[in-house]
Amino acid sequence: MPHSPLHITCQEVVELVSDYLEQALPADEAAVFEQHLNFCDGCALYVDQVRKTIDAVGELRAEDVPEETKARLLTAFRDWRRG
Amino acid sequence: MSSVAVIRDEAGLVERLRGGDEAAFETLVESYYGMMLSVAQSYVKTRAVAEEVLQDAWLAVLQGLDRFEGRSSLKTWIISIVINIAKTRGAREARTVPFSSMAPEGEEPAVEPERFRGAGDGFPGHWWAYPANWSERPEEVILGRETLGVVTEAIEQLPDAQRVVITMRDIAGCSAEEVCETLELTEGNQRVLLHRARSRVRAALERHLDAA
Repeated sequence: MPHSPLHITCQEVVELVSDYLEQALPADEAAVFEQHLNFCDGCALYVDQVRKTIDAVGELRAEDVPEETKARLLTAFRDWRRG
Repeated sequence: MSSVAVIRDEAGLVERLRGGDEAAFETLVESYYGMMLSVAQSYVKTRAVAEEVLQDAWLAVLQGLDRFEGRSSLKTWIISIVINIAKTRGAREARTVPFSSMAPEGEEPAVEPERFRGAGDGFPGHWWAYPANWSERPEEVILGRETLGVVTEAIEQLPDAQRVVITMRDIAGCSAEEVCETLELTEGNQRVLLHRARSRVRAALERHLDAA
């Protein structure tokens, strides 16, 4: 199918999703992308999956600094200050 | 989820650190420790080695503080220190770092081409079957221990450059600019690596969730 700027396929959507979420798509392409999502449940679900993936990855964020580590670093800081 | 702390007045903080202000140092540690640990972990094999990298990195930060000129942000300066030390350790650990090139290679579709209708179909390039609705799944499933184990495993198996980029962006909470600066990547390449990494992790999640 000839590529029309007014139409993108689902297969193209899945490659553009990151650029879209990163707000790196030019305004006209972003509009076409959003238009596609309005009419295509499959791609809306796909974008939702990508967002949920990002959320899940974000859950791997390190926990708070262990007290022991903090204490050790503070000692290092005091030693450094004393030069 | 603990949020990534943002230090707004870096120049002021650097001054206080140079003056030996312990509260300022605590702020620095609490704000950046988790981010530094994630970045280090993407370069070395184990959590234990990553913690060793951080010990060395903090000493290097203190030693370099007086020479820090603020040409980059304090945060990217610290990340660069972590990366340099982690790369050295990673090489010793026989993880394949330093990476020969961070640039993405070849083509890599986000979703297998077979899931889309072919050129002979009335709707070429459209889904044969829609992806599942993950919003119907309880959050405990999507963000549960088992699922996060799948995510961890998927990230672990990513090509090096993809693993580092997704870790910095989506776990450590770095901005695209911070990743480009510390990894010396173009904006475009950073996005391609992030895209491929997220696509692969999504696919791994899909295999897991759809099988359940």
